[in-house]
Amino acid sequence: MKWLLYACLFTSLNGYAAESSTSHDWLKTLAFAGHGTDFSGDFVYQHDNQVETFRISHIVASDSEYEKVISLDGPKQEIIRHHGQTWCYRNHKMVQVASQQGYAKFPSRLLENVSDLNTLYRVQEVAKEQVAGYLTQVILLQSVDNLRYSHKIWLHSETGLLLKAAVLDEKKNVLEQYLFTQLKIGAAADRAWLASPQVDSKIVASIKTPALLDIKSGWVVDALPTGFVKVQEIKRAMTKKHAPVTQIVYSDGLSALSVFIEPTDDDDEDDKEGLSSRGSVNLYQKVVGLHLYTVVGEVPARTVMQVLDSIRFKGN
Amino acid sequence: MKNKISALMDGELFADEANHVIAELKSQSSAQQDWQIYHLIGDVLRQPEAITREVGSAVHERLQLEAVILAPQRSMTEKARNIALSAAASVMAVVAVSWMAMQATPNKSAQLAAQTSALTRASFVLKPQVNAYLLAHQELSPSSDVQGGSAFIRTTNYSNEDVAP
Repeated sequence: MKWLLYACLFTSLNGYAAESSTSHDWLKTLAFAGHGTDFSGDFVYQHDNQVETFRISHIVASDSEYEKVISLDGPKQEIIRHHGQTWCYRNHKMVQVASQQGYAKFPSRLLENVSDLNTLYRVQEVAKEQVAGYLTQVILLQSVDNLRYSHKIWLHSETGLLLKAAVLDEKKNVLEQYLFTQLKIGAAADRAWLASPQVDSKIVASIKTPALLDIKSGWVVDALPTGFVKVQEIKRAMTKKHAPVTQIVYSDGLSALSVFIEPTDDDDEDDKEGLSSRGSVNLYQKVVGLHLYTVVGEVPARTVMQVLDSIRFKGN
Repeated sequence: MKNKISALMDGELFADEANHVIAELKSQSSAQQDWQIYHLIGDVLRQPEAITREVGSAVHERLQLEAVILAPQRSMTEKARNIALSAAASVMAVVAVSWMAMQATPNKSAQLAAQTSALTRASFVLKPQVNAYLLAHQELSPSSDVQGGSAFIRTTNYSNEDVAP
């Protein structure tokens, strides 16, 4: 049985070797396109039998990126990203939610790992399709194991912009997807909100984000899925937590997972144990000894469980 | 060595240490005896209805009496590995099936959750309390970089409940 697996793996590796170079370039284009291209439009986010619609504007001006996302249905949601900082609408005001201090590293890191992706995902150019009236190249990144999800992405043929993206489980069920229904690219993009004066006054930097401290915590994960490497290891303050929380981020270049380790609180820990999900994100929590472990990532349930169960303190 | 065998039985060794101990077990008959005795002690402590000593040698004796079948056979280690794999697979299948069931029929989730309480003890939709972890993850996740602000949509739905005024 095992030889059959190897044989399949081997032939599939050979099979896509020839076409991988073209897909390669697509992925590099994608990593840049999201940042360097002006666009505005409406997109649909579908997950867990729910559909939500949003309007996005993304403008690149004088070496700085502006991005605004607002909800078009349901409760009011608004996200503004500017220069690596993110604000969300909460309780009738805009609150800074993420400082993105490590943010600048990521585009380059992603690119470094594009070659590795070919050993973890079977990359195929599957079709050319239209999305929101634009011609796109459809690329399937099929996971070679069941510890990560497969991805199907629709890239604008001219700019490489991501116009549609679906995350698929091993049975090819769509766990979540983004899809533009209406889009303007380049000079046609809607810049109106940039000019409006209320944008700046609405931004309330009310949460002073404490520095993320790079550390060597001594915590390790023994059963990390193949291809996942440590991206960052930090100590951070979190809301409603007394003690700082250790966070270790791992990525395979496409998906990522975070491991959080903190001393247990006095309040009801029972409530915190278990598995939960939203779209492609799974979260698993468990109290082990004197610590609360939390593993969260865009990976299958079995992966967050496997990772949590193999956390151990190795020491410095 | 005895401590290590005991730890191995309890599943307390890490993979590299376990391999070392198993190699020792293979080469030393005294270690093998310890292994059998420890299992016997374990059986006595668990108080089963019948305790059998030296099952290994008894089985061996019986096998000697069996007719010899001349057919290609897989090695024992391979069989053992397959059994171990299929055991792990069926555990995963249980998790996966109950997981799928949760996803499909939220109304039954409480009932099913009770049945699978040993594996998973919480509701299957993210609670607002865990929102902070999601945000912290997305802040540093490379995939947020590709998806841009859209990645934060996953978390903003809870944002109104998340932070008290």
